[in-house]
Amino acid sequence: MKAGIEAMNIYCGSAALNVVELAKVRNLNIDRFENLLMVEKTVPMPYEDPISNGVNAAKPIIDKLSQEERDRIDMVITCTESGIDFGKSMSTYIHHYLGLNRNCRLIEIKNACYSGTAGFQMALNFIYAQVSPGRKVLVICTDISRMSLVDGSMEASFAEPSTGSGAVAMLISDYPVIFQVDKGANGYYGYEVMDTCRPVPDQEAGDADLSLLSYLDCCENAFREYQKRVEGADYVSTFEYLAFHTPFGGMVKGAHRSNMRKFKRAATEQIEADFNRRVKPSLAYCQRVGNIMGATAHLALASTIDNGDFDKPKRVGLFSYGSGCSSEFYSGIVTAQSQEKLRESNLTKHLNDRYMLSMDEYHHTFETNGEQKFGTRDLKIDSSQFPRAFSHVEGKGRLIFTEIKNYHRIYKWV
Amino acid sequence: MKEQIVKLIVGNLVEIIPELSEGSVSLDETFVDMGANSIDRAELIMLTLERLDLEVSRIEFVSAQTVNELADLIIQKQQR
Repeated sequence: MKAGIEAMNIYCGSAALNVVELAKVRNLNIDRFENLLMVEKTVPMPYEDPISNGVNAAKPIIDKLSQEERDRIDMVITCTESGIDFGKSMSTYIHHYLGLNRNCRLIEIKNACYSGTAGFQMALNFIYAQVSPGRKVLVICTDISRMSLVDGSMEASFAEPSTGSGAVAMLISDYPVIFQVDKGANGYYGYEVMDTCRPVPDQEAGDADLSLLSYLDCCENAFREYQKRVEGADYVSTFEYLAFHTPFGGMVKGAHRSNMRKFKRAATEQIEADFNRRVKPSLAYCQRVGNIMGATAHLALASTIDNGDFDKPKRVGLFSYGSGCSSEFYSGIVTAQSQEKLRESNLTKHLNDRYMLSMDEYHHTFETNGEQKFGTRDLKIDSSQFPRAFSHVEGKGRLIFTEIKNYHRIYKWV
Repeated sequence: MKEQIVKLIVGNLVEIIPELSEGSVSLDETFVDMGANSIDRAELIMLTLERLDLEVSRIEFVSAQTVNELADLIIQKQQR
């Protein structure tokens, strides 16, 4: 039977920043900044959080369904490392604001940036199991990184320009018009490593170099396992496109370069040409949003579907890596119809519509971000602080985060 | 043996960062100080291990910050 993505949409905020400018301000070594392939990042506004982003990504998908189709959503899974509570799942809020049927499982899944793939695979297996034929699963990958202080450690760190904010929503069913998954074609690779993590709320910690090396080890070994399970699988001829988890573009380019040498003994020029043809379409959106962790692998997939050439059905190889670590290589088929349907969402226009912040405005977000710490009991959000960015959501039917009242989060449509 | 490995690392470093030349690479200066960013440092480890046909997990080389340190670590892993 078929299973995969029936509908897909992204929401990557209302404000963005040019990260080359940021790198200059932070005195990062920009001589070789170009090979990191970073362009812009979404900066979360005070009225945006992982829940409102998730709802805004999913709303257009739900709006297009009939009531009967909506009632067939049996499960909402949030995939994240930006949870707002140790017990309560963000899926409960998202389910509420989307007005979904109450006969529904509501859960949250994590393993750093691998969470999106974990939730995606869980949804697929629910469809394959046929315990409830014709039912659907809504998977919301949503992550956010709010910067709240500049300290000495940021002077040499690329964490700040690379982290973004946003969500990818996917409706998983037995009608996979956007992406039909290759059943059973999965290579996993995971082990315990202390690379990057969030040991305390609102803060990243760890060793970026270790994380890069671990990503590379996993990318190679997850694919080797995929090859064991899929007879005749070849790194080049089996996949017309590749979409990898993209902490920053340079990471993907490095992993692809290494794989091309290891698996194909390819020369430098051949690797460059192959990268431009098979990998580059996946980077277009990730380069403009920054790393949205659990949502990044599927943002890369959306970018491939929108920007690739699908005159005939083509196979896309996906790689997901989450620190800690867990990783997976899997694949699926994209058709001309997939592209036509995804392009209805006009994702490029959504990214173009974000307000470009000045460096002063960006620094001003740090103060308000400082008020939104994990575990805040009461807070009123002042949505008038960034009027230029706010004008990009107002009147567009978006959900905004307005208040925390005795730990309960409150949102409204604007 | 170390001499050959050092030569290979220096060659790889110059290949990755064309602004460097073999004469300008100092064996005890950190890769960061020589202008290598995180992806350059990862590439240096990858390329060196590949060219030595050394099948050791890349994460085991994360502590090496200079050409000499990387060469010593490689010799240690080769002998294991």
